[in-house]
Amino acid sequence: MKPVLEIRDLTVTLKRGGRDVPVLEHFNLSIVPGEMVALVGESGSGKTVAALSVLRLLPLGAKISGEIFLDGENIAQAGEARLRQLRGSVAGMVFQDPLAALNPSRTVASQIGEAWRVHKGGSVLAAREKAVELLGEVGIPDAAARADDFPHQFSGGMRQRVMIAMALACSPKLLIADEPTTGLDPVIARQILQLLARLRRELNLAVLFVTHDLSVVAEHADAVHVLYAGRSVEWGGAKTFFAQPRHPYSAALRGAVAWLGQARLAEIPGQLPEPEARPPGCRFAPRCDYAQADCAVEYPAPVERGTTAACLYPLRNAERAGSAGVEKVVQKFAPLLEVDGLALRFGKGLPVLENLSLVIGQGECLGIVGESGSGKSSLGKAVLQMLPYAGHVLLGGQDLGGLRGAKLRAARRRMQVVFQDPRESLNPRMKIGEIIAEPLHLAGVAKPEAMRRVKALLADVGLSAALMPVYPGSVSGGQAQRVAIARALAAEPELLVLDEPTSSLDVSTQALLLNLLRGIGAKRGLSCLLISHDFAVVSYLADRIAVLRGGRVIEVNETAALLANPREAYTKALIEAAPRLQS
Amino acid sequence: MLRRLLSSAVSIFLLVTLVFFMAHLTPGGPAFSILGQKATPESVAALNARLGLGAPLLKQYGIWWWHLLHGQLGYSYLLNRPVGALLWDYEVNTLVFYAIAICLSTMLAVLLGAAQGVWHGRWPAGVIGVFQLVFYATPPFFTAAILVLCFAVGLHWLPASGIGNPRLAHPGIGTFAAHLVLPVITVMLLTVPMLSRYFGEAVHEELGKDYVRTAQAKGVGFAGILFRHVMRNALRPLVTMLGLSFPYIFTGGVIVESVFNYPGLGWLLWRSALGRDYPVLIAIVLLIGLLTVLGNLLADLVNGWLDPRGQYE
Repeated sequence: MKPVLEIRDLTVTLKRGGRDVPVLEHFNLSIVPGEMVALVGESGSGKTVAALSVLRLLPLGAKISGEIFLDGENIAQAGEARLRQLRGSVAGMVFQDPLAALNPSRTVASQIGEAWRVHKGGSVLAAREKAVELLGEVGIPDAAARADDFPHQFSGGMRQRVMIAMALACSPKLLIADEPTTGLDPVIARQILQLLARLRRELNLAVLFVTHDLSVVAEHADAVHVLYAGRSVEWGGAKTFFAQPRHPYSAALRGAVAWLGQARLAEIPGQLPEPEARPPGCRFAPRCDYAQADCAVEYPAPVERGTTAACLYPLRNAERAGSAGVEKVVQKFAPLLEVDGLALRFGKGLPVLENLSLVIGQGECLGIVGESGSGKSSLGKAVLQMLPYAGHVLLGGQDLGGLRGAKLRAARRRMQVVFQDPRESLNPRMKIGEIIAEPLHLAGVAKPEAMRRVKALLADVGLSAALMPVYPGSVSGGQAQRVAIARALAAEPELLVLDEPTSSLDVSTQALLLNLLRGIGAKRGLSCLLISHDFAVVSYLADRIAVLRGGRVIEVNETAALLANPREAYTKALIEAAPRLQS
Repeated sequence: MLRRLLSSAVSIFLLVTLVFFMAHLTPGGPAFSILGQKATPESVAALNARLGLGAPLLKQYGIWWWHLLHGQLGYSYLLNRPVGALLWDYEVNTLVFYAIAICLSTMLAVLLGAAQGVWHGRWPAGVIGVFQLVFYATPPFFTAAILVLCFAVGLHWLPASGIGNPRLAHPGIGTFAAHLVLPVITVMLLTVPMLSRYFGEAVHEELGKDYVRTAQAKGVGFAGILFRHVMRNALRPLVTMLGLSFPYIFTGGVIVESVFNYPGLGWLLWRSALGRDYPVLIAIVLLIGLLTVLGNLLADLVNGWLDPRGQYE
C-alpha cells in the first residue's frame, strides 16, 4: 500500500538564544491508510516538532532538511500557498487542550464550517449543515441544537470531539493528533481513543498519534515509534513492542508507566539532556544500565530484532530495564484523620460535597479517585481548612472546625499539601533553600539547624544540596515537585495531602516521584490523602481507595480488594479506563 | 450589574461632594468675579446674600441636592442662564467633538496596532513604537500650540479658534468642520498612542495563541486568521481601555477646548472653575461622572457581545 505520509531523514532546527539548535534529527516515518502510528516521547524528545513538521506548522525561525512526502508530494520545501491548500484537506490536525485550541468567541459550527469553506467554498449555510453532520459523526448528542454553542459551553471531552470534527471536515487522508487525550479524565480519554479507532476504521484514515504516555496507545496503535532527545530509538509493530521492547530506554519507559495493579514501578535515573548538551553517541547512554564504553562513540545503527532499535546492545527477551522500585506492605492503622458528615457548596450552587465521611489511619495512604467535578479537590481543601464547610474534620481527635488564629495555624502545620503544578505553587522569587526552610523558620528552628535539615530533606527527596541557591523557575517540573514535597515534609506533618501530585509530569518523572512518595510514607509513618483522577497512580500508592462521585463516596475498600472486586459500575468504568498491559 | 450601578452612584456622589467643598475651600468667590475690581466688602456681602451664598456651606450643599431632586440644576452666576439649558448647548458641541475624535482615534489605533502586532519585533513595529512614545509623552497643550503655529498661523490652512457657539450663530457645516480639525487631531495625538499600543500588544498576544495554530492547520490564510479570528478577540482589551480612558480623554479635552476656544463642556468647566461659578462647576462634574459610568457600561456591553463566555456580566 502506498503510504499517506513518508518522512525521510528529517532534521529540524529551532532558534534558541540566537542559535540554530537541532531538536529532531534523521527522523524517518511512514504511515499507510488505516494505520495508527504512535509517536512516543517525553517532553523535549522532539515528538511535537515531528508532528508539526508534517503540515509545516513549525514556529518562526525553524529550519528543516530532508523529505516529507504527504500523499506522494514532497512538501519539505513547498511554498506557503501550496501548504495552505494541503493543510486541512490532505491532513487534519488535533491539538492538546481543545479549550485553547478553539477560538473562544466563535461558535463551533462556524469554526468547523470554516475548515470546510476554506477548501470547498460554498455558502455559510451549507457549511453549517456540514458542521452539524460532522458533529453528529463524532458523537455530539443533539448536534443540530449544539452547533451554535461556543467552545466554553462544552465539556473537555466534547471539545476534543469538536476539534476532531474540524480536522475531519474535508475528509483528509491523515489525521495528526498531538496529545489529544492529555488533560482529560481517563474515562473521557478512553472514549476519545475509541472514537479515533472507529473513525480510522470507517474512513480508512491514517492516524499519527503523538503522546508522552505509552499507556494511552497500548490498546489501539498498530505501530510504535519512540523518540528520545531528538532521535528515534526504537520503532516497530505495537504487539511486538509491548511484548518485548529492545531499546533500554523504551523498556524503561514501559516499565515506568503506572499500569493498573503494578507492584513495582521502574525508575529511569537522570535527566533528558538539553538540545545544546547532547552527548555524542547514544543519547540515552549516560542514563542506561546496559551502556558500555563504545555506546558513547557514535550514534548506534538500527538493529532489527522484532522491532528495530538504535542500540548496540538491544535487550534480549525477559530483560527489564530500570532499577527496582519499592515494595508495598499492607497493614492495619489507628485513625488519624476523621471526616464526618462533610458538606460543602459554593454560594447557592449545587452541593460540591454531601454528607461525606472518611477515616485515614496513622501511616495510611487513602486514595481519592473521581472525575473532574466529583469534588475531590474540594475535599482536600476542606480537610486543610481552606474552604468553609459543614460537618466535622478531626485530626488526632481534635475538631478543626472551630479553630481560629494561632490554633488554626498550629493545626495547619500538622497537615501539609502538595499541589498539581509545582511551578504555580512555589514562589518564583524565593530560592529553593528558602522555600524549604520557610516552615522551619515559622516553627522557630535556628538558622544553622534549619540549614542542616534543609540539606537532609533535599537528600530525602533525591535532590542535591547544590540546588539550594537556585530559583524554582530554572529546575525541571519533576525537580520542582520534589522541592514542593520537601517543603511539605519540612513542617514534619502528620498528614500529607497530595492533590494530583504527578499529573503535570512526564512518565519517567512520575515513576520517580511515586516511588519517592511510597518510600517516604513507609519511612516516616506519614498519613496521606492522595487525590487523583488516575486510578493506576492511586492504586500504586494507596492502602485504601475511596471512589468519589457527585460529592459522595460511592465505594471505599482496600486497594487490592477494590481492584479485584469493584461493587459499583462507575468504579468498574474507572478501572477499565486505567492503563493496563495486555497479557 | 445592579451592584456596579450602585457603586457607580456612590462614587459619583462622593465626587460631587468633594468638588463642591474643594471649590469653596479656595479663596475668592463668584462675587469677586462678577463685581470685578470695584468690589467693596459691602457690595460683595450684598451680592453673596442675594445669591444665597451667605448660608452655612452644609445648608447650601443640601439645597443644591434638594433642587437636583426636583430637576433643577440652578442658575449660572456668570452667564445669567439656567444651568440645564447652558449645559445642553455646550454638551452637544462636546459630544460632536468627542464622537468624531474617538471614532477616528479608534480606527487609527486599530490600524496601527494591528500593524504593530503583526510585525512585532521587526522594524515597522519599532518605528510605530517610537512615534507612540513621542506623542504619548507630549502634553496636549504643547501639541495644540504646535499645530496652531503650523497650520493656522504659518500656513493659514485652518482656523485656530473662534467658532463661537454654533447653535447660536448657525455657522455652516463646512466652517464648523474646519474648526474641528485641529482640536480633533490634538485629541487623537493624545489617545491613539495609548490605544494603538494596547491593541498592538493584544494582537501580538492573540497571534501566539493555540487557536491561531488550529486555524493555520485548517488551511486558513493569514488575512483570514487576522480578520476572522484574531481581531475580535484582541478588540476586548481595547474596548475596556476605551471605557476606562474616558475621564483621561476628557481631561485632555478641557485643555484642547480651552486652547482652541471651542465652546464645549471642557471650556465651560475651565471658565466656571476660574469664576467660581459653583452651580455650573458641580453640574459639569456630575455630568462627566455620569458619562464615565455610561462609558464603562457601554464598554462592558460591547465586550459581552465580543466575548460569549460572559465574563463581563
